Amino acid sequence: MTAHAGRGRPMLVAGGAWDTARRGLPVTVTALVILGAWQLVVRLFDVPSFILPAPTDIASALVDQLTTILSASRLTVSAVLLGLVSGSVAGILVALVVSRFHRISGPVLGVAVIVNCAPIVALAPIFNNWFGVTSLASKAGVAGVMVFFPVLVNTARGLLQVAPLHLELMESLAARPRQISLMLRLPNALPYLFNALKLGSTLAVIGVIVTEYFGGPSNALGVYIAQQASLPRFAEAWAGILVASLLGLAMFGVMSLLERLLMPWHESVHGGEA
Amino acid sequence: MPESPIIRIDGVTKQFNPGTDRSVTALADIDLTIAEGEFVSLLGPSGCGKSTLLRIMADLTPPTAGSVSLNGKSPATARRDRDYGMVFQQAGLFEWRSVQRNVELPLQVAGVAKQERRAKTAAMLDLVRLPEFARHFPWQLSGGMQQRVAIARALSADPKILFMDEPLGALDEMNREHLQGELLRIWSDTRTTVVFVTHSITEAVFLSSRIVVMSPRPGRIAASIDVDLPYPRTAETRTLPAFFDKITEVREALHGMTVAEDAA
Ligand SMILES: Nc1ncnc2c1ncn2[C@@H]1O[C@H](COP(=O)(O)OP(=O)(O)OP(=O)(O)O)[C@@H](O)[C@H]1O
Ligand SMILES: [Mg+2]
Repeated sequence: MTAHAGRGRPMLVAGGAWDTARRGLPVTVTALVILGAWQLVVRLFDVPSFILPAPTDIASALVDQLTTILSASRLTVSAVLLGLVSGSVAGILVALVVSRFHRISGPVLGVAVIVNCAPIVALAPIFNNWFGVTSLASKAGVAGVMVFFPVLVNTARGLLQVAPLHLELMESLAARPRQISLMLRLPNALPYLFNALKLGSTLAVIGVIVTEYFGGPSNALGVYIAQQASLPRFAEAWAGILVASLLGLAMFGVMSLLERLLMPWHESVHGGEA
Repeated sequence: MPESPIIRIDGVTKQFNPGTDRSVTALADIDLTIAEGEFVSLLGPSGCGKSTLLRIMADLTPPTAGSVSLNGKSPATARRDRDYGMVFQQAGLFEWRSVQRNVELPLQVAGVAKQERRAKTAAMLDLVRLPEFARHFPWQLSGGMQQRVAIARALSADPKILFMDEPLGALDEMNREHLQGELLRIWSDTRTTVVFVTHSITEAVFLSSRIVVMSPRPGRIAASIDVDLPYPRTAETRTLPAFFDKITEVREALHGMTVAEDAA
C-alpha cells in the first residue's frame, strides 16, 4: 500500500499517524479537563471515597497494587482472548454457512438480531454453574456468546449485501459460485466483520469482567474489583476498573490496527481523501 | 464493411412479469445482425429497452421469445467461453483490489496463470494509458480513470465482442469527449466488435460505424443508419459539415419516431 507513496500523494501510514495525532489532541485535552474537574470537586466538597475517590487516590492505589492487578489481569486477558477468538470464529463460520442458503439466511439472521438485543451478560451466573466458577470456560463462554451474535449478523450482511453490479459483472465473466464467494463476497464482508470485531472486542471485556463479579479464581481482575469494593477499598476497586477499561481500549486498538493492515483500501482507513 | 455476422438476433421479444398486471413488453420482435468489426450504437429514449437488449445478448437475462447467436454460439455458451467483455455505466471496480488486480479479474476467473495475467494486464493498462497506476486503488482514481480501468478489465481476456452500456454516461463533457477518442483508438487497435448503448446523438455519430435507433413502448428498431464518416475520427471530425448532417439525420429518425407515436 505504500507503493504509490512516491507519486505526489500523501503516504497513507504517515498521513494516518498525523491525522490520529491531530484528532487525539482535543480528546486528550478533554480528558484532562474532566480529570481536573473530578479532582477539584472531590477535594472541594470532600466527597467520601465510597461515592467517588479522587483521581490521585486511584492513581496511588494503582501504583501500590500494580503487581496484584497485573497478575489478576493475566487470567482475565486470556479469558477475553479465548472468548473473542472462539466467538468470532463461530460467528464467521455460521455466517458463511447461512449465506450459502438463501432460504434460511433471513429467519436465522432475524433471530440473531433479536437475540443480539438481549442482555447476554445476564447469562453470567448460569455459565458459572455450567462450566464451574473457577474455570476459564465460564468467563470465555459468556464473552464468546456476546461476540458471536454481532459477528454473525455483520458478517452475514457483508456476505449477502453485495453490489448488484458486482454480481452481474461476475456473472458476465461466468464465475463459479466458489469464485464469487472468494473474490467478491468475502472481501465485501471484511469491513462489516471488522466493525463487529471492534464492537466484540469491548463486549468480550465486559462479558469476562461481569462474569468474574459473580465469582471466579481469586486472581482474576473482575474478582479483584468485586472484592476490593466489598472490603471496602474503593480506590483499589477503581484502580481495577481503570485497568479493565484500558484492557477494553487496548483490544479495540488491536482490532483497529488489524483493520488498517488487512484492508488498506477501505474508506474508514483512508478517510476518503485524495 | 460487413463480413460474417458475429451477432445475430432473430425475432427477440422480452416481457417482464408476463401474465401479471405489472407485465411490461420491453422489446418486441427485434431483428438485428452485426458484422465482425462493426461499432454499433443502440440509441433511443430512456426505457426503450437498450439495456435489456444488451443484457439478452450477454446472457444476463433470457429473451421471452426469439433467438440470439453470438460468434455462432448460444449466448450462454459464448458467455462461458468469454467471447465478450462488458462495461457498465458505473465502473464497478472492486474497491479492495488494486487497478492491476481489477484488470486481471476476468483472467483470474478464467484460471489463467499468474505470470501470463501480469503480462496481459500490463499490456491492457498501456492500451488505456494508465500504466503508472497499476498499484493504485480505485478510490485514488477519477471517474474517467476508473472507467478506463473498467474498459481495460473488459478487454483483458481478449473478447471478440465488447458490450458497453452507457459507459461514459457518468462523466463530464470534457472527459467524455476525451474518452470517446480513446475508445475509437482502442477499437482500431483491438479490432473488437463493439455494441455501445447511449442516449447521446453526438456521441453515437462520432463513434459508430452504424447507429441502431430504437423506439419505446414496446422497444423496436426504428431505423438503422450507416455513419460513413471516415476513420480515424478526430476532434476535427466534430467540425465537419458531414458530421452535422449525420446528427440531423439521426435526430430526424428519433424525432419522426416520437411524432409518429404522438399521433398514434
Ligand atoms: N427487471 C425488470 N423488471 C421489470 N421491468 C423491467 C426490468 N428491467 C427493465 N424493465 C422495463 O423494461 C423497459 C426497458 O428497460 P431498459 O432498462 O432496457 O431501458 P433503457 O433503454 O436501457 O433505458 P435507459 O436509457 O434509461 O437506461 C422499461 O420500461 C423498464 O421499466
Ligand atoms: Mg439502460
